[in-house]
Amino acid sequence: MSGTTSPLTSPLHDRHVELGAKMADFGGWDMPIEYPGGGVVAEHTTVRERVGVFDVSHLGKASVKGPGVADFVNSCFTNDLRRIAPGQAQYTLCCDESGGVVDDLIAYLKSDDEVFLIPNAANTTEVVRRLQAAAPEGIEVTNLHHSYGVIAVQGTKSDEVLDALGLPTGHDYMSFVEADWQGRPVIVCRTGYTGERGYELVPRWDDAPALWDALVEAIAPFEGKPCGLGARDTLRTEMGYPLHGQDLSLEISPVQARAGWAVGWKKDAFWGREALLAEKANPSRLSRGLLVTGRGLPRQHCAVSKDGAAVGEVTSGTFSPTLKQGIALALLHPDVAEGDTVEIDVRGRAVEAQVVKPPFVEVQVRES
Amino acid sequence: MSDLDYPSDLRYTTDHEWVREGDDDGVVRVGITSFAQDALGDVVYVSLPAVGDTVAAGDACGEVESTKSVSDIYAPLGGEVTAVNEALDGTPELVNSDPYGEGWMFELRLSNSSDLDGLLDSGGYVASLG
Repeated sequence: MSGTTSPLTSPLHDRHVELGAKMADFGGWDMPIEYPGGGVVAEHTTVRERVGVFDVSHLGKASVKGPGVADFVNSCFTNDLRRIAPGQAQYTLCCDESGGVVDDLIAYLKSDDEVFLIPNAANTTEVVRRLQAAAPEGIEVTNLHHSYGVIAVQGTKSDEVLDALGLPTGHDYMSFVEADWQGRPVIVCRTGYTGERGYELVPRWDDAPALWDALVEAIAPFEGKPCGLGARDTLRTEMGYPLHGQDLSLEISPVQARAGWAVGWKKDAFWGREALLAEKANPSRLSRGLLVTGRGLPRQHCAVSKDGAAVGEVTSGTFSPTLKQGIALALLHPDVAEGDTVEIDVRGRAVEAQVVKPPFVEVQVRES
Repeated sequence: MSDLDYPSDLRYTTDHEWVREGDDDGVVRVGITSFAQDALGDVVYVSLPAVGDTVAAGDACGEVESTKSVSDIYAPLGGEVTAVNEALDGTPELVNSDPYGEGWMFELRLSNSSDLDGLLDSGGYVASLG
């Protein structure tokens, strides 16, 4: 165990410092934003074209164990856990009763009696608290934040990199294999936050440095790079993946964020069900993609207008290294439609953008 | 910061800009320092003043935007803008790769050449970085 001081540090912190990474606070964790010799654009391009490794050990880990756990979790989170089988994972949402999003997370169905969760760093304690408060006798919810590291290997060459380590590859998107690496247990999940083919590896906390070192060595023949959370953000924004705290929050419901696909609408019970069903028919605003056609980069909270009238604001905005132009996710009045032209107020300057449907780039993630 | 350099033939401002005296008397070239480009990260847009603009020392006269943030470009000294680096329109990354060379930003005909003496030398600038 480590990382009990403030700010929290990953099991790979020493590696990042040694590499000369620029570090910054991320959900209370001191994490690498970018590494020298690359920068966000080069790291982003490496993932789109070859392969990158990311330390995402700040992500939460929690286990829910006991008889009937799958049904219990299914009665809490929005997505329908009965759509997947053991060995598969699912993107889901932890809502409050008003329909606001406490967190978006991945649930790994190990068996009917065990579910493993990867919540966001800053929300793990709250997700665990809510589950513990709701759990019936016999179901145990444990915060394992400091028991595991998480390393993402993302890009077209991910399989070759994992093959070099003797780790399993080629399983379906959103499925996982509990593997053994040199006598150490590692969960190999076909998941990610970049839109590329890739894996997220979950080793024990103390095994993370050795696994990282092996991966850094294995990506070298493919001209891969360690990549920071800066590139992870531009990669996920190009895919239109929401970031909790910006595109999803207690104030931004899954209906507004157009994450309704991750809600099991036919389920009898999940947190926020009544509120979300009521909102579904008549949302006040909807998340849309904005492709900047003028010059300038939209940023979070930039105001958006159409024909001179205010229609909403940007929730995430950045430079797309792939498209070489500004892109954004924005919450807009429901009357604004794809194909419309809007203006984004970028530091007092009106920058023209087109309303589009994300992703902004081609999706590679499901390739078999 | 060991791989960042601050050439001794340039003058500097505390806004992390450099100023180089040209062959043409009273005309200087302006850019941002290697410290500034490193702190910004990948530069993706540069907006520059227009040729013919008159600026006073400290005026915000442009913007440099990176993947993660945006900063104003300030006029280091008063004068008239006589040239801008058009290449930054298509290849803003020159600011990162060659901040003192191909990544220059604009040229100024100084209202008063002796104003240059008020700027930092490289030693003074490095000291200001702490």
